[in-house]
Amino acid sequence: MTGAAVVPEVRLTMPARAEGVGVVRQALAGMADALAFDAAVVADMKMAVTEACTNVVVHAYDGEEGTLEVEMLADDAALTIVVRDWGSGIQPRPARREAPALGLGLPLIAALSDSFELKGSTNSGAEVRMTFVADRSLDPASLNPVTGTVGADGRWDTEADADA
Amino acid sequence: MDANPIVLDESADDVVVVVVEGEHDIYTAPTLRERLDEALERRGGVVVDLTGATFVDSSVLGALLDARRRALDADQGYVVCVGDQVEPGVQRILDITGLVPVLPVVGDRAQAIDYARDGVRG
Repeated sequence: MTGAAVVPEVRLTMPARAEGVGVVRQALAGMADALAFDAAVVADMKMAVTEACTNVVVHAYDGEEGTLEVEMLADDAALTIVVRDWGSGIQPRPARREAPALGLGLPLIAALSDSFELKGSTNSGAEVRMTFVADRSLDPASLNPVTGTVGADGRWDTEADADA
Repeated sequence: MDANPIVLDESADDVVVVVVEGEHDIYTAPTLRERLDEALERRGGVVVDLTGATFVDSSVLGALLDARRRALDADQGYVVCVGDQVEPGVQRILDITGLVPVLPVVGDRAQAIDYARDGVRG
């Protein structure tokens, strides 16, 4: 540590299972309350962190047990949330799945966060780092809108025309 | 008591209402899919009432869209309603995905039931 303004505030480590996603959301809600963020920003944080954790639960470990880690780092102006796994890394499609995934997770994270960064490679895990500013001047969904609509196969098609 | 219930209301003629309350995500999406399956099996119209929902994610949208496609394939009416005071955790994802006209989404439950019934009758 170099004494930077951003320090870890909360770190959650838990099995990457569906029932844990709501736990992360509740922890975030509590932290956001303490920081007095605008309700609309808190709603976006909860949605984005849910989508990031869901990606870990669905895609990271190919049905095997694994770990989901979430860090929430606050400073005066922003909250950064890091969602991390040690699974199969970022892949275009899950190797196996129960109900077909809609494929909206990353587009939603892009639209709801003020900035985000995705790190990872095959078999070395993945990390999504999302930052939300307390005092927004612009709606991030206007800068990074979710494009497309649901396709005939039930997955999100970013190229499809929503008005077609 | 389940804080996030999903129950069927069959009090309307020809239309089953799937009442979704509380927070819903990948954990409860399989239950929602089961309830939607049950509603579609009645062969009438289907309304999904999110008035009491406080949060829905893309797992929920996936379940709603799959049910919609099956309703369309079987000529069953299908409408989602959200009430007049929509929680940010529901409104925001519907707005930014552009799914309001797709699902479709209306406010009032009684109106949704009428639309779903009309959908059945074509």
